[in-house]
Amino acid sequence: MQEIPTIARLGDDALIVRFATTISWEIGSRVRAAAARIRAMQIESITDVVPAYTTLAVYFDSARVAFEAVATTIAPIVNSGEAALAESSTIIEIPVRYDGPDLDEVAERTGLAVPDVIARHSSRTYRAYMSGFAPGFAYLGDLDPLLVVARRSVPRVHVPAGSVAIAAAQTAVYPLETPGGWHLIGSTTLRMFDVDRNPPALIRAGDMVRFIPVDP
Amino acid sequence: MITVVSAPPFATIQDLGRFGFRDSGVPVSGLADRDSGLALNAMLGNDPNAAMIEWAVAGGALRLERDATIAFGGADAICSLNGTSLQARTVYRVPRSSELHVERIMRGRFLLIAVAGGIDVPLVLGSRSTLLSARIGGVEGRRLRTGDSIATGASASGIDGDSLVAAGSRIAGPIHVSRGPQSDLFDDLGWSKFLGTEFTVSNASDRVGYRLDGLALSHKGDVAMPSEPTCIGAIQVPNGGTPIVIMNDGPTVGGYPKIAVICKSEISRFAQLAPGEKLSFELTR
Repeated sequence: MQEIPTIARLGDDALIVRFATTISWEIGSRVRAAAARIRAMQIESITDVVPAYTTLAVYFDSARVAFEAVATTIAPIVNSGEAALAESSTIIEIPVRYDGPDLDEVAERTGLAVPDVIARHSSRTYRAYMSGFAPGFAYLGDLDPLLVVARRSVPRVHVPAGSVAIAAAQTAVYPLETPGGWHLIGSTTLRMFDVDRNPPALIRAGDMVRFIPVDP
Repeated sequence: MITVVSAPPFATIQDLGRFGFRDSGVPVSGLADRDSGLALNAMLGNDPNAAMIEWAVAGGALRLERDATIAFGGADAICSLNGTSLQARTVYRVPRSSELHVERIMRGRFLLIAVAGGIDVPLVLGSRSTLLSARIGGVEGRRLRTGDSIATGASASGIDGDSLVAAGSRIAGPIHVSRGPQSDLFDDLGWSKFLGTEFTVSNASDRVGYRLDGLALSHKGDVAMPSEPTCIGAIQVPNGGTPIVIMNDGPTVGGYPKIAVICKSEISRFAQLAPGEKLSFELTR
């Protein structure tokens, strides 16, 4: 039995649709399908549609359209219960040098040999659950259960752009130099965020991703 | 053309913000004191979205290399032109080579300096706003530096000289908020604490977020919630922590419960609260 999505205000210029309270592939797929359908309506007063794990937000210009009108417009879409029409089947390949400063520590904490950590990280196809934290940062899952380690107790102040990292059941690439608490296991030279590209983020919610080991 | 003769510690170019890219994790950015920016652009006959200088923290100086029409507003500041003091929210026609001196900011946080025709930096993802974390927008995605030359756009005609004076929008009283998506995680006691506390804007506050000191709010239930979209003005409450208000350059998603969201009509006033200033909240919806 599916939960019925709820629609709530998120300030004056946005609403949030909650599909469920726990994360799953099925819910994520419904969230992204609804986001795609709302975008396809091309309503001028809607500026952004942002899918997340179990929710999506619709941002609008409250000077031009009221919350109630947006909620009424999108209600049939979010209630339809349909899964993704056609999620991207293209796999984005990310070449990785497994040379991260935390690689040895991850091996130690997981009880795996370093080549095994690399093999397990690079043998899966991940899907992007959500973008956020920083421009172009995509949360990818699910990690091999044997690679699950809690995030660092003390976050780094500077994580270099292109760092490939893991934390809990997820993996990601840091698109920009930012602070960060994930374990750095490798690096890529691919540009994850580029304003001269449309869309600027290489990975968006719903995309599939694979990490390809390259020689250091 | 404007030359930065002496840059303050923090000044960036901002317009009304960058829309349509939040799903790529790109915050809106834009003027923190949107209302003052809109008023200045209206006075100058500019497009509402024309970019201007958002100037903070301390004094400095600009030189207007060509004849220009300018106005400033937002934070209360002592400004002078070639030695003559100027009034906020007033349109001035100034001859080329004039120097605008910002002596200091008296009250508030962001002084907005606007010029007829707007600041003409390249559009990045549809906006001229600076986003420091991604190094995009404004002047090379960074703060203004002494020696920078900033291009200005062609001025629209029909500005009614010095006679235009827009009203300041400073209003006292509690900041109005609406219920946030996780308002139910806070019980009656939590809500009465939230609405009954006089908070202080922390020194740890910037265009990403304002931390509020005064009370650690507790909430009930499981708060290991999945991260979800957030918005400018969202009041997040980390576990056992003090509230953080998401500002223009803040993250697009967050995993902390949002007790309330500051009303759009109040965001500009809130944004002008400097570290050390006190505030309280009032629930309006």
